[in-house]
Amino acid sequence: MEGDCHYLLGNINARRRVEFVRNLLLEIGLEASRVQMFNLSSAMGGQFAEYAAKLTEEIRQLGPNPLRKDPLYTTETSTGE
Amino acid sequence: MIIAEQKPLDEIMGLLGSDERVLVVGCGTCVTVCFAGGAREAAIVAASVRMTSKLNSVPREVTDVTVQRQCEWEYLDEIKEQISDADIILSLGCGIGVQAIAERFPDKWVVPGLNTTFLGMPTEQGVWIERCAACGDCVLGITGGICPIARCSKSLLNGPCGGSEDGHCEINPDIDCAWQLIYDRLSRLGRLDALLELQPPKNWSTSRDGGPRKITRDDLRLAAEEE
Repeated sequence: MEGDCHYLLGNINARRRVEFVRNLLLEIGLEASRVQMFNLSSAMGGQFAEYAAKLTEEIRQLGPNPLRKDPLYTTETSTGE
Repeated sequence: MIIAEQKPLDEIMGLLGSDERVLVVGCGTCVTVCFAGGAREAAIVAASVRMTSKLNSVPREVTDVTVQRQCEWEYLDEIKEQISDADIILSLGCGIGVQAIAERFPDKWVVPGLNTTFLGMPTEQGVWIERCAACGDCVLGITGGICPIARCSKSLLNGPCGGSEDGHCEINPDIDCAWQLIYDRLSRLGRLDALLELQPPKNWSTSRDGGPRKITRDDLRLAAEEE
């Protein structure tokens, strides 16, 4: 649960970083809802399945990632070192 | 260190226009430490530009590279071939880095991906605050190590103004009154007499009032480079 993480405040830090990624997706022009975060404990199997089904359905409605499988979308990087 | 923050992606896309081959150049010094333009941010910006371009059907090749310091020729020379292959350079260095690239590669168009904001330090993870205004005539020896030029909203040199309230600045209660900080610190250290010494008017010609500044050190110059 929020703030009740095995790593103490870890899931609050994680949520802030997830928000950063969601905003980045919006800036890029993709739907933020492709990335979502849910708080669960390892003992909440039923709830996990429910969230997974919910997210799967939402993403199915959004359709496939429009950037997938395109020669323009390269991941080439270099470090200059 | 120099503190900067990334420009919005929309603005970056506007600066890139329709140029096809983009080289994102990160800097391994100040802007790495403030998480604005290091190798990690250069990779994120490159990926973001790539994805946005694809979504908008703009043909584009984006690569990224990070040099140790964009503000020195020798590090820029290491990437001259990559710069030569690009149509446009997106610099994630501070304003000095952008200008260094423009000066070293006179035929290349370079645009800034960051807004260079101030000289400062982190006070906690994720929070940076201005500490120095680079006025060129340091007064910290009189003011107990607290800069009234950078930290007083009016850069006052003769104590707090009437807008100082309970130790806070009138322009924003989140800002400490620099002169309250100075007074409290000198008082605690028993050095308030430092404020009683008469000071001549500050020489602002060493600051921006004197125009662009330059330092020449003959002891460091190489004979062959002297003009």
